[in-house]
Amino acid sequence: MPRCAGAPIMPDERIEKGQAPTGPSTGEPAGVVASAAIGFLVFLLLTTGLLTVGSGGSSSRPVDQPVEFNHRLHVEDVGLECNECHEFAESESFSGLPTAETCAFCHEEAQGNSPEEAKLVALLSGGQPLEWGRLYRQPAHVYYAHSQHVSVAGLECERCHAGLAASSRPPRRVRKLTMDDCIDCHEDGDAESDCTTCHR
Amino acid sequence: MARWGMVIDLDRCTACQACVVACQVENNVPPTGADQAELGRSISWLRLAPHGEAEHGTRPQMHLMPVPCMHCDNPPCTKVCPVQATQIGEEGLVGQIYARCIGCRYCTTACPYTVREFNWKQPDFPEPMEQGLSPDVSIRPKGVVEKCTFCHHRLQVARDRAQLEDRPLAEGDYVPACVESCPAAAMTFGDLEDPNSEVSRLKQSQRAFQLLEELGTEPKVTYLSKGEWGGQV
Repeated sequence: MPRCAGAPIMPDERIEKGQAPTGPSTGEPAGVVASAAIGFLVFLLLTTGLLTVGSGGSSSRPVDQPVEFNHRLHVEDVGLECNECHEFAESESFSGLPTAETCAFCHEEAQGNSPEEAKLVALLSGGQPLEWGRLYRQPAHVYYAHSQHVSVAGLECERCHAGLAASSRPPRRVRKLTMDDCIDCHEDGDAESDCTTCHR
Repeated sequence: MARWGMVIDLDRCTACQACVVACQVENNVPPTGADQAELGRSISWLRLAPHGEAEHGTRPQMHLMPVPCMHCDNPPCTKVCPVQATQIGEEGLVGQIYARCIGCRYCTTACPYTVREFNWKQPDFPEPMEQGLSPDVSIRPKGVVEKCTFCHHRLQVARDRAQLEDRPLAEGDYVPACVESCPAAAMTFGDLEDPNSEVSRLKQSQRAFQLLEELGTEPKVTYLSKGEWGGQV
C-alpha cells in the first residue's frame, strides 16, 4: 500500500529548519555565542518576516477584521455552537463566515457596552457586508472538505482550531496549515493517507 | 475498493477533440504559446495520436486515438521517481504530487505512452482566461511534471458527497471531464472491480485491446476497434 512517506519540505519550512545554530562552538564565551544566536534569529525573523506558531506557520501580514470578535463570550458565556455562525461546516467544503444578517439576529441593537459591539451595530445599520479576514489557509494544491471532517469523521472543531473558541479576540495573523498538521491523524486514524486523497 | 478505468471506443470516436478541450479547461492546463509549441513544449494531458499512413495520391488510412494517462496497474513512471512524487494509489489512480516533484523528468522518459508533460515556463493564463480557472485543480509551477489524473479532484468531491449522504459511490458519480464531454459517447468510465459496471462489460468485448500491452504496464485504459489496428497498435 503506497503511503505518503513524510512531509515534503515546503519553502516556509526550509526557512524554519535553517534558523537555529545548534550548540556553542568551542573556545568562544557562551554569552557571545548566545547573543550571536539571538542576533541571527532576530535577523532571520526580520528578513523573512516569519514567526512560527506550533507546527504550522503564520504569515507576516496582520489580518484586518471589521470588529474584534470575541469567541469566548459567544461560545462560553452565551453558549452558541460553532455552526450557528459557521453554518456550512457540516455540509460543504468551506465552513463559511457569518454574514451581516447572521450578526443582526442579535445585534441590530447593542446588547452591552462593548465598543466593538458598538462598531458592529454601526456597520450593520450602514447596510455594508462584513468583510471578515480569513485566519486559516492551506496551500492551493490541497483539497480539504469541512463536511468530511465534521460530519463524516465527527471531529471537534477544536482539533484543528485549537484555542480559538476560548480567545477573546481574533488571532492577529493567518495560520498556515501544513501537511504536518494533517498527516499525524491520517496515518494513525481511520483516514486515508493516499496522496491523491488530499492533493490535487 | 474501486479500481478506476476507462474504455474508448475508436469506432465511435469522430476525432472532434471535444475531450481535449474539456481536459484543458477542467484541469487549468496552461496555453504555452506558439514559440513553446515550436520547441515541442506545449502541454496537453489528453492528446489525439495519429496512426496510419497518408500517402500522396491515395486515400489516407489515418486513425486518431485519444491518449490520456493509462493509469497503469504496473506503472513504469512511479518506479523511477527518486522523490515519490508520483505513486499509484489504493484505487489504482497514478497521482502526481507537484509540491514534491523536483523536475528530473525520469518519469517522462519512463512513460511509454509519453503522456507526461514538463512545465518549462511559469504558467501564464492571458486575460480573460484566468477568470475561467477551476478552483478545484491547483496550478502547476514551473519545473514540475504534470499529467492526466483521471480528474481525481472530481472523485474527491463525489466521494465526500456520497459519504455525507451515507451511501456508496454510485456509477456515474465520478466521471472525468473528457468522458463527460464526448458527444459521440465513445468514452466510458467506471469501476473495473465491479463486474456489472459498463467498463467491465465493454472490456470483455472482442474488439478490446490496450496500447502497448506487450510491455506489461497493465494499462487501465482499454480501446475498442474492429479495424485492422485492433490489438496491434
